Amino acid sequence: MSISTPGGPQRRPTVVSTGKKPAAGRPAADTKAASTKPATPKRAGGGGKGPRKPITPVKVSQGRSWGPIALFVAVGVLATSIIGYGAWAAIRGAQTWEEKAAQIEGIVNFRETDPEAISNSEHRSGKQEYAQSPPVGGPHNNTWQRCLGDVYDAPIAAEHALHSMEHGAIWLTYRPDLPAADVEKLADVVRGNDFMMMSPYEGLDKPVSIQAWGYQLKVDNADDPRIKEFATTLAQNATVEPGATCSAGNYTTGTGTEPRDLQPSMGG
Amino acid sequence: MPSAVQETAVEERAASAEPRPGSPMLRYLTLAMTALLLLGIGWTAATLYAGRTPGETSAEAGFARDMSRHHAQAVEMAMVAYAKGQDPAVRQIGYDIALTQQAQIGHMQRWLQEWDLLPTGSRPAMEWMPDGVTVDANGLMPGMATREEIASLHEAQGAEVDRLFLDLMIKHHIGGVHMADGVLDASDRPEVVRMAQSMKQGQQKEINELRKLQQGVG
Repeated sequence: MSISTPGGPQRRPTVVSTGKKPAAGRPAADTKAASTKPATPKRAGGGGKGPRKPITPVKVSQGRSWGPIALFVAVGVLATSIIGYGAWAAIRGAQTWEEKAAQIEGIVNFRETDPEAISNSEHRSGKQEYAQSPPVGGPHNNTWQRCLGDVYDAPIAAEHALHSMEHGAIWLTYRPDLPAADVEKLADVVRGNDFMMMSPYEGLDKPVSIQAWGYQLKVDNADDPRIKEFATTLAQNATVEPGATCSAGNYTTGTGTEPRDLQPSMGG
Repeated sequence: MPSAVQETAVEERAASAEPRPGSPMLRYLTLAMTALLLLGIGWTAATLYAGRTPGETSAEAGFARDMSRHHAQAVEMAMVAYAKGQDPAVRQIGYDIALTQQAQIGHMQRWLQEWDLLPTGSRPAMEWMPDGVTVDANGLMPGMATREEIASLHEAQGAEVDRLFLDLMIKHHIGGVHMADGVLDASDRPEVVRMAQSMKQGQQKEINELRKLQQGVG
């Protein structure tokens, strides 16, 4: 605006630069405005010598108020950002893993909907019956399945898997007829990550089911991003025995759905 | 369009020419706002700096996650040594290593909770290391034993347990010291630096102990 305003040649720059620079503290804009002006041809609208005064005020007053306006805006933006960030951080930062889990669409939280189903966590030998398939809680074998990013290519015993889940593992299961390329996508989620394991599972009602102690999510597609979200959010967090391990102790790495009652071989 | 009021103000000023303030009020207000703006920026920067915790891709988070998994394998091996080692000194150091490293896992997991981070990272393991060490497809970090080596340790009996354990544990500790050095290069967070330094010193000392035991048991 100030640049395009017509004006007299010499006097204006002087006034503008002396008045503005100290006031607004924004030399860049001033310099620009000032340097542009001399080049601007004097226009008819400016009138003769007499009307000089009216013209000068127009320009200077506009240029002058920009500084304060910019400052007010800057302060306003800053204040808004601080408050906004604070609110965002307060809401975001306070988010627990349970809240993150609750945001995963389609996740079933049996700890809320059916706490009875997972209340019993005693150790039993032999085959067990479970209300859910795959199970998400209940009595299980004394031996746990190693869950150190293990990718089992054959079904494993739920009685062992449940013990791993009690320790905080997530168990990613899929229909045995899932295409090999899809199985590989699932393995990418699990491999190399502690507190994760996967295996095929007979009789799934959806192609893929992922579970932790008390939580389950069933999806149709191995590409579904919720699989990884579930895995990373619940692995280790969903433990009911914080600090228990996947990798050390009396574990099994065997496959087959019949639970094996291993003697607690000390350290092995 | 400029208002009449503004014009008047400027006109006055133009008349008095050089002595700057045509409107002292505006000038003081401007100065005050400038001061407020600078203070605000400074305060925000200081607050963000002081209150910041390591982020998802930070070296601290990478160290906490990866060292937890690295430690977990040491715990497993040390527990085997504790349970099945032939030399009482091997059982003793196994006991020491297992308990120490399991407790350190707890410390590191607690950091992640305090930093609002998940135990599982979204970035590949070891990406945080300044020297760019990578992991293989099975996620093995520096010094870690392969699955086969772990299996042989479980299956070993007698003096073979001692021999295998000492060999694997020395390699494991060397890798662990290397990772501790990595985070010491990359971080100045007090709790992380303190832990990494004590890990480094403790494991270097244990490497010497393990080597001495190696001489003893061949």
